Amino acid sequence: MSETSPQALPGAAGEGRKAFREGFLTNNPIFAQVLGICSALAVTSKIETSLVMGVGYIFVLALSAWVVSLLRETIPHRIRIIFQVLVVCVFVIVLDQILKAFYWQASRQLGPYVGLIITNTLTLGRTEGFSIRHKPMTALLDGIGNGLGYATVLALLGAIRELLGSGKLFGAVVLPGSVYTPNQLMILAPGAFFALGLLIALLNFVMLKTAKRK
Amino acid sequence: MKHKNLYTMFYAAILGLVCALIPTAVGTYTRPLREANAKVDEIKNTLRVLGIPFSASTPSKELVTFFQDRVVQQKSGDLTLYYAKPEAGQAADPVAIRFEGRGVWGPIRGYLALGSDMRTIKAITFYYHEETPGLGGEISTAAFMGKFPGKKIVGSDGAPGFHIKRLGASEQNEIDGISGATLTGGKVETILTLLADRIVKENIHVGD
Repeated sequence: MSETSPQALPGAAGEGRKAFREGFLTNNPIFAQVLGICSALAVTSKIETSLVMGVGYIFVLALSAWVVSLLRETIPHRIRIIFQVLVVCVFVIVLDQILKAFYWQASRQLGPYVGLIITNTLTLGRTEGFSIRHKPMTALLDGIGNGLGYATVLALLGAIRELLGSGKLFGAVVLPGSVYTPNQLMILAPGAFFALGLLIALLNFVMLKTAKRK
Repeated sequence: MKHKNLYTMFYAAILGLVCALIPTAVGTYTRPLREANAKVDEIKNTLRVLGIPFSASTPSKELVTFFQDRVVQQKSGDLTLYYAKPEAGQAADPVAIRFEGRGVWGPIRGYLALGSDMRTIKAITFYYHEETPGLGGEISTAAFMGKFPGKKIVGSDGAPGFHIKRLGASEQNEIDGISGATLTGGKVETILTLLADRIVKENIHVGD
């Protein structure tokens, strides 16, 4: 739960818009906080699964952050972590059931990773690090912002890996074999590490450049 | 936030109750849908492995009737054989057998379709697994399942078994595994070898 960016620390709390922007961009869960990496590496071999995971994650994080914040003044201090994990569990199980009922194919492809949202460091990082000390609306926006930031990076990573790894996007051939020979490494685990590492470097580089210009 | 012990215990109890009720309610509500999805998925995979053409957009109810019309199910011990109703005087070919075994994270279920000799693999499908997406999860891709047709469930010496090699599959009962999925490959190998062993030793075949 390390926060790499100083402006992410609470204090000037209460502004939902700031919380949203930070979660989405300047303090993005993946490329600034470097949290939630396990699932970001695992489910991004295709853009479709990345998107489903991203949307599901926004749902879980936003609602968990909101509920934790709503009840923040009633929670006994000693059991607050258990409380947060339990709230996250409820939403994850609900999400898993909904996926199985309405998005069967996607649920099959995500395998155990929906359940693993519970142990995603980012989830607890936001509820314990932010929601429990902020008003419900701010916490909700913080959850949506962070979820969206996570989902965007996942989608980007999914697009890069699917395109370079199998020459496809959304399962349709974009780069035929005559033009580009798919590099299978991109679909495999090492490819995920390379792609994510380079993406983090690139995004940080761009962020630094724009920050300097201001 | 200073709270007494009694408050904490009471809070935890209420919380536990509420948090148990919500997933139960959603679970009960979605159960018929989830079970229907699983059933249709199973039917589609059986049809696919038997090579019976069907339209992917067929509504689930019609698909169930279509399946019951076209496919014969025959119990053989605790194994179930599936085959398309053969034309008069012809042997059932291919014959699909449902299998199930332990994968890395959860069960792996699928169908193995054999020729009428009950030794030659016609097709295979893994319709349920919880393997790691992108790694072991690749067992259900066309690329991996496409390596099976033409292979046999016995070695050239006649011994039953099926092997997933890291490199250099050369025998009639060997295929190359998936890079990064050594564990899943081993699990699939065990499942298929156990199944091959039973088919050969128990002489499982269509008819009595």
